[in-house]
Amino acid sequence: MRRIFKIYKPFTHAGVMLAAQYRVNFIFFILGDVLMCFINYFLWKAVFSSGGAQTFMGFSETDMVSYIFISFLTSTLAYSDGSYAVGEEIKDGSIAMRMIKPIRFDLAFLFQELGERTMSISIVFLPLMVGVEIFRFVVTGAVQFNIFRFLLYLLSLVLAYLINFYVNVCYGYSAFVLKNLWGSNLLKNIIIGFLSGATIPLAFLPPVLSAVLNFLPFASLTYTPVMIYIGMYGPVQILTSFGLQIVWLIFFIFLQQVIWNACVKRLSVQGG
Amino acid sequence: MTGSCLSVAFDAIPRVTHMLTKEMIQLIYVNKLKKDFKKTIKEPGLKGSLKSFVKPKTEIITAVNEIDFHVPKGEILGFIGPNGAGKSTVIKMLTGILTPTSGSCEINGKVPYKNRKSYVREIGVVFGQRTQLWWDLALRETYTVLKEIYEVDDKSFKERMAFLNEVLELDEFITSPVRTLSLGQRMRADIAASLLHSPKVLFLDEPTIGLDVVVKDNIRKAVKTINENEQTTVILTTHDLQDVENLCDRIVMIDKGSKIFDGEIAELKRKFGQSREMKFVPADFSALDKLDYEGEFHLKDAVEVENDGHNVSVRFDSDRISVEKMLNYTLSKLHVKDINVSDADIEEIIKGIYRSEVKVDA
Repeated sequence: MRRIFKIYKPFTHAGVMLAAQYRVNFIFFILGDVLMCFINYFLWKAVFSSGGAQTFMGFSETDMVSYIFISFLTSTLAYSDGSYAVGEEIKDGSIAMRMIKPIRFDLAFLFQELGERTMSISIVFLPLMVGVEIFRFVVTGAVQFNIFRFLLYLLSLVLAYLINFYVNVCYGYSAFVLKNLWGSNLLKNIIIGFLSGATIPLAFLPPVLSAVLNFLPFASLTYTPVMIYIGMYGPVQILTSFGLQIVWLIFFIFLQQVIWNACVKRLSVQGG
Repeated sequence: MTGSCLSVAFDAIPRVTHMLTKEMIQLIYVNKLKKDFKKTIKEPGLKGSLKSFVKPKTEIITAVNEIDFHVPKGEILGFIGPNGAGKSTVIKMLTGILTPTSGSCEINGKVPYKNRKSYVREIGVVFGQRTQLWWDLALRETYTVLKEIYEVDDKSFKERMAFLNEVLELDEFITSPVRTLSLGQRMRADIAASLLHSPKVLFLDEPTIGLDVVVKDNIRKAVKTINENEQTTVILTTHDLQDVENLCDRIVMIDKGSKIFDGEIAELKRKFGQSREMKFVPADFSALDKLDYEGEFHLKDAVEVENDGHNVSVRFDSDRISVEKMLNYTLSKLHVKDINVSDADIEEIIKGIYRSEVKVDA
């Protein structure tokens, strides 16, 4: 384990430096997302004030507001660019330069992305969380923050990120077949955004669909950590969802290896 | 042309010597190596695009067709051929990037595409058109990354860097970010990166592409030094025949995916060096029509005439047409301001082979 860190640590370092180079780009990106998040907020505010009911499908207004912001936070933090990074390297053929080194691609990409993510974590995480907690305090009149739940949330978030990363890597390998991922990537992000509960809580969907999505890997990406954070899950549900997250993570690590082995046999490096 | 089974003849010479010394055991075995690619054919126009979108037509293209060769330890092998001959595909199979369709290769007792991770520890690779350096980091950082990846210990790393520094003169730019390096600096840095872990085999795919004469010369010297000091086996592909003449003990030439020559450069010259080039400046270009070499010598494809508007060059095989006859005939037909006949250098020979005017029985 320590050896792995020693070998792949430079990739993280490179990731940080890379992110620093494109920081303006990143800030605009985040700004757009934050705006979207506020639009969502006002939309739900209107729903609650026009309906007159205290709760909507088991969510109070405070729950909903927490959900909107925490799901935004979670999907931003658990976001992975793996498919883009892998896809681009396959597209321009520079994947060949990785193949001539005695390293594992998935780990190299993972550690590099972790470096790139440090920036988004430091910029987004604190202000948003503090904001949500202040809001919850003002509305309910009591401190809602629970350190134990928060730690569980962090664990679930890390698992969510890793699953997301490997899903994206698997998907990135499809560049071997599709050659260019831009269009299909956009579609994939929207579908995953919806199915993972980043757009609306899965509890709002028809019960059957919601149950299926809860079991599929999608819920593990955003919905599970958010529900843990805002206290909608009991101990049993938390444990089962952790179990599910771990199962899916192992599944995708394995799948990634299988796809890679299959691709490499039929590899043609683009661009000479 | 009497080129009878060249490859067999040249293979036989080194093989005998290999039996004598143990160090000369073949390090690289390539056996009937073949690679097919599937290619989608697009029909022209919008309709064609739609058609290939719905139901793409594919055809199989054979990039490398059953190539065989062996390389003993410590040899520098030049791997040459025209663009699109399949050189890069072979290098990619030998470095474990591509899996062959059929046939096999074994290097240092390992099959590249089967045990990639352990295999690539023992080789160094430079692709002239790509870089393995970290684009946004200072050059020094790339070497630190590589040190960790290859698990080179501190002491050997220091010694190695000092040595590479001396040979490739990295000092002047080792602290600059890679993206600010000139092409020549980058290439030297890339070669150093591929040698950091003292590989047994070094693959250089067009290492002198786009470089000026001085840098080219430096790189050649560095490769030579490393080959002599460490018995590193080098496989070199290039379009620069100076590289080949200065560095290579042997060349393998391929064209259209098949091997067409395998042997020493001296042999190549001896076998195909009968081609001569006559250059002249005619007093009157319109008089050129009077020249009919094929009709005069009753030979097909033996003479090639090139006219660039200032000079006329005529390449011919002095085995079939003597220089005297050639000059006599030409001068009898027209007036010239200047004329000379020269030996074809290796470049000319190879040009000839690429154009397939010299027939080789491989």
